[in-house]
Amino acid sequence: MSLHRYELGFLLIILNIYSLGLIDAVNVTASDSAANPLQAPGYQSHGSSAVVSSPVYKPAVDSSYSINLLSSFPEDVEISEYCSELLRLFGQRYVAYVNCLIPAARPVRVCQNCSPWYNSLSEVFVNISSDQLGPGNVSCRDSILRSDRLMLVFLLYGNLDTIWEKSNCEKCVTKDFKGPNNDTLYYLTLLNQTITCFEKYKEGNHTELCKNCKNTYKELNDLYSGMEKNSTLCIDLEDSMNMTRKLWSKDFGCSYIGGETIPVIAVSSFILFLPIIFYLSSFLHSEQKKRKLIHPKRAKSHNSLMNIQDKQS
Amino acid sequence: MANITKKVSWSSRGDESGAAGEETPLLNGSEQSRPLRQMSSGSTVFQIGRLSTVDLEEEITTEEDSARGRPKEIPHNEKLLSLKFESLDYDNIENQLFLEEERRMSFMAFRCLEISRWVICGLIGFLTGLIACFIDIAVEQLAGLKYKLIKENIVKFTEAGGLSISLLLWAALNSFCVMFGAIIVAFFEPIAAGSGIPQIKCFLNGVKIPRVVRLKTLVVKVVGVIFSVVGGLAVGKEGPMIHSGAVLAAGVSQGRSTSLKRDFKIFEYFRRDTEKRDFVSAGAAAGVSAAFGAPVGGVLFSLEEGASFWNQMLTWRIFFASMISTFTLNFFLSIYHNKPGDLSNPGLINFGRFESEAMEYNLYEIPLFIAMGAIGGGLGAFFNFLNYWLTIFRIRYVHRPCLQVMEAMLVAAVTATVAFVMIYFSTDCQPLGPDHTEEYPLQLFCADGEYNSMATTFFNTPERSVRSLFHNPTGTYNALTLGLFTLTYFFLACWTYGLAVSAGVFIPSLLIGAAWGRLCGILLASTTSTASLWTDPGKYALIGAAAQLGGIVRMTLSLTVIMVEATGNVTYGLPIMLVLMTAKIVGDYFQEGLYDLHIKLGSVPFLHWEAPATSHWLTAREVMSSPVTCLNRIEKVGTIVDTLSNTSTNHNGFPVVVQVSGDDEPAKLCGLILRSQLIVLLKHKVFVELARSRLTQRKLQLKDFRDAYPRFPPIQSIHVSQDERECMMDLTEFMNPTPYTVPQDTSLPRVFKLFRALGLRHLVVVDDDNRVVGLVTRKDLARYHVGKHGLEELHLAQT
Repeated sequence: MSLHRYELGFLLIILNIYSLGLIDAVNVTASDSAANPLQAPGYQSHGSSAVVSSPVYKPAVDSSYSINLLSSFPEDVEISEYCSELLRLFGQRYVAYVNCLIPAARPVRVCQNCSPWYNSLSEVFVNISSDQLGPGNVSCRDSILRSDRLMLVFLLYGNLDTIWEKSNCEKCVTKDFKGPNNDTLYYLTLLNQTITCFEKYKEGNHTELCKNCKNTYKELNDLYSGMEKNSTLCIDLEDSMNMTRKLWSKDFGCSYIGGETIPVIAVSSFILFLPIIFYLSSFLHSEQKKRKLIHPKRAKSHNSLMNIQDKQS
Repeated sequence: MANITKKVSWSSRGDESGAAGEETPLLNGSEQSRPLRQMSSGSTVFQIGRLSTVDLEEEITTEEDSARGRPKEIPHNEKLLSLKFESLDYDNIENQLFLEEERRMSFMAFRCLEISRWVICGLIGFLTGLIACFIDIAVEQLAGLKYKLIKENIVKFTEAGGLSISLLLWAALNSFCVMFGAIIVAFFEPIAAGSGIPQIKCFLNGVKIPRVVRLKTLVVKVVGVIFSVVGGLAVGKEGPMIHSGAVLAAGVSQGRSTSLKRDFKIFEYFRRDTEKRDFVSAGAAAGVSAAFGAPVGGVLFSLEEGASFWNQMLTWRIFFASMISTFTLNFFLSIYHNKPGDLSNPGLINFGRFESEAMEYNLYEIPLFIAMGAIGGGLGAFFNFLNYWLTIFRIRYVHRPCLQVMEAMLVAAVTATVAFVMIYFSTDCQPLGPDHTEEYPLQLFCADGEYNSMATTFFNTPERSVRSLFHNPTGTYNALTLGLFTLTYFFLACWTYGLAVSAGVFIPSLLIGAAWGRLCGILLASTTSTASLWTDPGKYALIGAAAQLGGIVRMTLSLTVIMVEATGNVTYGLPIMLVLMTAKIVGDYFQEGLYDLHIKLGSVPFLHWEAPATSHWLTAREVMSSPVTCLNRIEKVGTIVDTLSNTSTNHNGFPVVVQVSGDDEPAKLCGLILRSQLIVLLKHKVFVELARSRLTQRKLQLKDFRDAYPRFPPIQSIHVSQDERECMMDLTEFMNPTPYTVPQDTSLPRVFKLFRALGLRHLVVVDDDNRVVGLVTRKDLARYHVGKHGLEELHLAQT
């Protein structure tokens, strides 16, 4: 459910900017979400179709019918054809990436599934933000990114870029973002082996499972620890390992090894006993250090006595 | 040559001494030097009351007999003053040599002196920063190695079984490190034990603690602290930094090292106690500044704990040294962390930044903070109380070096064991964070992907533990873990302080406080339903740390500033200040601060800010030592040698007197000469007869005295032949012709004020005719203190 909500949220934002170019996407999602009436965050809505046709959003949906506060600008202030084309492309790819991300949220598959989408999105953004002049000697960077206070395109891209950064996906995919790299593939094979093993012995007594799957699990765990050290991990792997570890330790209860409490207690109580012996023996056997008192030279006391009597009199 | 005849006197009465004649006849001085007698004024602590003068006399007569027979021996206690401590000569000796030298110096020379003072302060800061950097890196590397080793071992044995072996390994490694650290302290330089702050405090107060600012002490201190921190003791490396800075300052300002027998022939002007003191206070400030990244705190520390003598220019110079020190450390640590030029790494302990929104506090939290301050004061007093008894036991029974080493090793082993047992039986498992704030996460029996929460507090250097207590997000520790940790660490830290290892008490106090402070935060959060108000226990950890530290060491001004600077957040100024005030008030109600306690237990004649209350009725006559061993202005060498060689009375200052007329007339005061000066004179054989025979003999200069400073040879090492014993010495040129004097009726607080404000070492008590009747020294003043039964007197003792 929540996936859809966010999807809708994203879409609504997009709808605000792109009028005609996005109609297809809107249609797809609108029909998609019309089946599940949702609560969009922050306002009441009665299904997405209602949102689309609500007066607030109308201008964005249908530009021909817009009642802008300002009527259209003269030619030279409007963005160029090239730039609006770029913008349109950006929108398409943005939606595509988001569409990919959301179903991959749990269990996390964002790197494995969505890396190519991110790549294509960032390509467009690089084009937009490059300071090279396009056809007609226009720089889209200024007209799209920096013309207003909101800097919407920049913000939008920034959001997704943060997601990408946080997910550490570049550690797991090949240089051209086409698919998982070798390390990841190897890890995934091991993971699959382990999971298969778990599946196989899941029924019945878990001690069997612990015994039989130990090797694969341990191999996987070691590989993971190694990768952790090299910091070649992305969120997919971290998540999958977390789940596996949880299965292993919590659900199957395989990691608890104990039962040697007695030697530990013995050794520690021996060590804790040593200071008592030490202090007792040094109290009993070491000779106490004595201080020799020195008697300072003082004035004869009758002086002071006289003195005080003088004062009193 | 101006013949100084002016007398500085603090009485309005006549001080016209008999005019010191130019042609004083060579008198045989032996008759004038008073016989050295021992007088007793009671050998037990007795109460001095206004009405007890008659009793006093009786007591003396009854006890004199027993005291005469054999020196009385008593076990060590806090009510003693040790004979081995002497005063420093903070008062300038304005003798003729000094005046001559000053006349010779040009205006430029004085400017150069001022500049070289700045240069020295810069050097002090720089070198202190370097030392701090060295300690930091060495500790990090060695501790990293140790923890890695133990962690691997534990991981290995968690599965295979046999964790008791890991325990033994941990205990053995700790003991081994601590053994090394304790051996160098106990056998080579016992003065380097502890944090060094009490010693520096005494030094700046004017007490000459033997060997406290030697190079050897510095080396032992630095190496010792590295090993005791690596050895996993409940100690920090901050206190020793202050001592290290002070030693560095004392060394650098002298331009030579007597230990290394190297004289760089620079900064010769600064070779006297007064100048050295100023630099030592700069060094202590630089040490604090390097330790906590708190330059202003360092200056204020010097002001609060140390310097009894203060002026603006000095403050400014000290501030300069502090600033240089913290930024030197900064710079070199940035290189070490591969971020050269990044100057945001101040201080050995970095509390991290308290800047997030959750760290904000509100008005209604202030009472809570104050309550925590009260808890801190109470706990601190309890800590000091326990440590007091432990220290007395140690002084009495554990005084042999090998025993001290054994004790330190045992403490190390027990610390490791306790930590291990706590970790072993802890069931508090937390998931590994994404950013890995834990340096050495220990899994032990936790599920995979989780770590043992107890281990982050114990299995770590104390600095890191403090930081994780301050900054780890809510829920990192559960209440039971923190409670147990506080309890055990409290006793461990208390047990550890006072061992023969070089180590400070700042970090353990902060750690204890941070643990129970965080506990308070967690409990508060759990009691209130509106959890959002009490979200972050980190700030309670900070307040708890401040409270605990304030409760133990009882510093106020400097500690507030240090904490504020170390957290980098001025808005915490008010709560920290309130907390420290409360902690001090509550703590002082029960027990003194830890440093004062140790100064007292060390039998140091320490002069506090004020004379003890209710002492105005005591006059100089009762306070002074009498009779005084005086010397004639032209004295026989044999007499001088005999006086100096007398081991029973290790006098240091001798009033110089001049005979006015006949033999029966008592002599009048005309000056004061120090033992050190006499020794230099004897060494150079400045005898009247020799001067006559060898006219070409070089005149003794102030430089000769400076060259012998600060280690004047003992009198035994100076050979005086039988013929020379019959020679005469003219002290006129060398003595201080204008010593401070007071009349007999001056009250104790007045004498005290003079002593404290001027940094005196000897104060001559004279009668109406300017005749010497007594001499007040530091020990005469320091023996009075206010005890449970009013004014009490401390005993002098040989230690």
